[in-house]
Amino acid sequence: MDRTQWLLTESQLREWVRSLLDAGNSVVAPVEEDGVLLFRPLTSEERAILAPSGKTRWSPKEFLFPRSEPLYRYTLDGGEVEIENPPAPQRPQVLFGVRSCDAGGLLRLDEIFLSGTKDPLYAARRESTTVVSMACAAADPECFCTAVGGSPVGEEGSDLQLVPLEEGWLLRVLTEKGEALFGDVDERWQDAPAAIAKEVEKLERRVAGQIERSPVKQEWSKTLEDGFEHEAWDRLAQHCLGCSVCAYVCPSCSCFDMNHEANAWCGEQCRSWDACTFAIFTHHASGHNPRSTHQERYRQRVLHKFAFKAEDDEPFRCVGCGRCVALCPAGLDIVDTVTAAVAAIREEGADAAR
Amino acid sequence: MTEANVTVAESGTGSVPEGWQPHIVALVCNWCSYAGADMAGTTRLEYPANVRMVRFPCTGRMSPLMILKAFEQGADGVLVSGCHPGDCHYVQGNLVARRRFTIFRSLMDFIGIDLRRLHFAWVSAAEGHKWARVVSDVTAAVSEAGPLPAFESPEDWDGVELPSVGDGGPQELTADQLDLLRANLRRAASEVLAAKRVGVVIGYGAGSLPGQNVPKLVTDSSACEILDWGHGCVNNLSTYIGDALEHNDRVAVVVKTCDLGAITGLIREDQVRRDQLLLIGMQCPGVHSGSALAAKCLSCSGDPHPICDLVVSVDGVHESCLDPSDAALDMPDARDEQIAYLESLPYAERWRYWQRQFGRCLRCYACRAACPLCYCSSCIADKHRPQWVPTSIDNAGNSTWNIIRAIHLAGRCSGCDECARACPADIRLDLINRKLALEVERQYGRVGLDPEEKSALIDFRMEDSEEFIL
Ligand code: SF4
Ligand code: SF4
Ligand code: SF4
Ligand code: SF4
Repeated sequence: MDRTQWLLTESQLREWVRSLLDAGNSVVAPVEEDGVLLFRPLTSEERAILAPSGKTRWSPKEFLFPRSEPLYRYTLDGGEVEIENPPAPQRPQVLFGVRSCDAGGLLRLDEIFLSGTKDPLYAARRESTTVVSMACAAADPECFCTAVGGSPVGEEGSDLQLVPLEEGWLLRVLTEKGEALFGDVDERWQDAPAAIAKEVEKLERRVAGQIERSPVKQEWSKTLEDGFEHEAWDRLAQHCLGCSVCAYVCPSCSCFDMNHEANAWCGEQCRSWDACTFAIFTHHASGHNPRSTHQERYRQRVLHKFAFKAEDDEPFRCVGCGRCVALCPAGLDIVDTVTAAVAAIREEGADAAR
Repeated sequence: MTEANVTVAESGTGSVPEGWQPHIVALVCNWCSYAGADMAGTTRLEYPANVRMVRFPCTGRMSPLMILKAFEQGADGVLVSGCHPGDCHYVQGNLVARRRFTIFRSLMDFIGIDLRRLHFAWVSAAEGHKWARVVSDVTAAVSEAGPLPAFESPEDWDGVELPSVGDGGPQELTADQLDLLRANLRRAASEVLAAKRVGVVIGYGAGSLPGQNVPKLVTDSSACEILDWGHGCVNNLSTYIGDALEHNDRVAVVVKTCDLGAITGLIREDQVRRDQLLLIGMQCPGVHSGSALAAKCLSCSGDPHPICDLVVSVDGVHESCLDPSDAALDMPDARDEQIAYLESLPYAERWRYWQRQFGRCLRCYACRAACPLCYCSSCIADKHRPQWVPTSIDNAGNSTWNIIRAIHLAGRCSGCDECARACPADIRLDLINRKLALEVERQYGRVGLDPEEKSALIDFRMEDSEEFIL
């Protein structure tokens, strides 16, 4: 597709957000709430935080995969049971200002919910969602997209992309879905010259240069799998507290559990976020727990990001947003962990006993 | 979700739907109030029919969970009623309950539950008339308060600006002084390991982010160089004591003064014995939250506490161990003004404030995981039969979770702020904890660092105040 691109001023950008709202879209963008940057549906374009860098506290995944959602509801009336399906999405949704890493994270969710048997609730929401990503003019200290094959101006998962440049906000159309978001393009919008691509490259180089982590290598996946039983895991995951901050802030973690909320008259069967780092995640009804230590549970999370692949060249499931690194209350670092695990496995052999 | 919830007023606007009648749930003790209500019935006393009764063996069996459940399921008001002090069928159930309700009630008030919705009464089996009067009064009060505001985050609300906490905190240490402290710490750690006084030292090492420190366990006396000390040493390491004791008879823990309350709590509650611990008390430069000093540090001197076994300061390492019964732990708190400010707001505003905070909760349970005193092997939030805390991650379930977490820590919380630090949603759990601590202290006095003292909510006095009980 021909690339269409414009250079917008901030007020033009806000006007555009306004027009998206007026057209009946639910526009989900970063806003500040009690000092925390979060994705929220906008009620006015003024609330959106259009920042050249910095990411929200957690990813926008909850707008495709809600924290909790009813799969069906029922009411009991005398002996009668009435079942009600959850409502289909009412309005098209625009995820606005999504960082490149998070946009990539949405594709990882697609892998789970859309490959094979499609999840109808997710699919409907995904279908009606357009992603407007926002490249980064600076990396946060925890960022490492470039170490896992991403880029601060990565296009993966975006329908449209905004790039903060000195000249203004570069808006590029990347997919047909992205193009469909415009009615008639505002004639006051200034076309971006082809040469602007150079500026984008410069930005990419500059921001990538701020990221100090060295790349996680594809071939590590196999090493990690081979060294599944290696004793290094005991040491590396010693401090894990068994919460789920890492999984819940992560753009690509997708685990859930079924829960039932009910009283004597009505109830609902729900799907709610869950995480492999919780002890009860794998707790069997018999009392047996196949992952009985927090070391085994943390290893599961790390390996699910960096190993357990069907094909060797499959991308990692970690997109390098660094949130789990920045927010882990025990200070665990997923890249340091894989790096140390790989080193230990190579040095001491895959089956150094646990 | 529930049918009863349907009558809940929109967004807590206070608008009362036409023909609205309050739903009131009464939790009553089988031995007195239930019989009292029966007596009211058989003597054909008239009173409003808005109350649904749930029978319990004792007020001592009534957990705040049950009151919260009633609200979550759409009750506009709750009445708790049991035997007069001295008349408990189980001798003291109502006396322990009285303390629990006093504290719970103050928290409900704090988060914006209009106290006209929450009532407590002593009604004996012979007091049919009193029961009728209590029910009439409670119904009138709940009617006045109106429908329970909805459990939902306010949309487009500018929020509350809390007073700033000002500054203060321990004396700034120079880079040289910090280096000296680190050297002293490493020497102390290495000596206790070499002398086999402990099997492991739980301390801090460097983290991967700038200025970050992370927990580190050292077992080898020659590996103590990795131990670090400074503004990044935020974690309360007593969380790791239980695990470490599985592999060692005795463990050393690097502690700040603010960590000691938790350790005292663990000893008090028989989770660990004092002789299994070797406490290395550090002179503290204050820890950082973001780039500023953490709020808890603003009112702290940073001096190492003499109840530790070893005290590490810039002057060196000293053996110590003061008798804890002599130890005062006086920590006024800069945040008390924020609490007072919130309390000065109308209920609707407070409710909005906390609903927005609770609405952010992801139910990651990091607050629970990071808390040294949340050590239950199976948490009430993970139980489903019955399911007191809704699993769904929404305002109703989150409110119950956040309230019950705080209540389970009331009178026990040591104020280390680990829960609030761990919370990815920046929910002001620290304000809730502090509010409860203030209330416990105001009512029952302070419990200090002596493990022999009983914590306030498992204790009672016949003469405990009960001015709010009908
Ligand atoms: S990880 Fe990369 S894409 Fe994500 S916020 Fe940081 S620099 Fe931007
Ligand atoms: S594993 Fe961590 S760094 Fe990777 S995508 Fe998830 S939260 Fe981000
Ligand atoms: S409150 Fe704790 S961390 Fe802060 S200065 Fe005092 S001892 Fe240090
Ligand atoms: S740490 Fe915060 S977000 Fe997580 S469960 Fe506790 S209150 Fe909720």
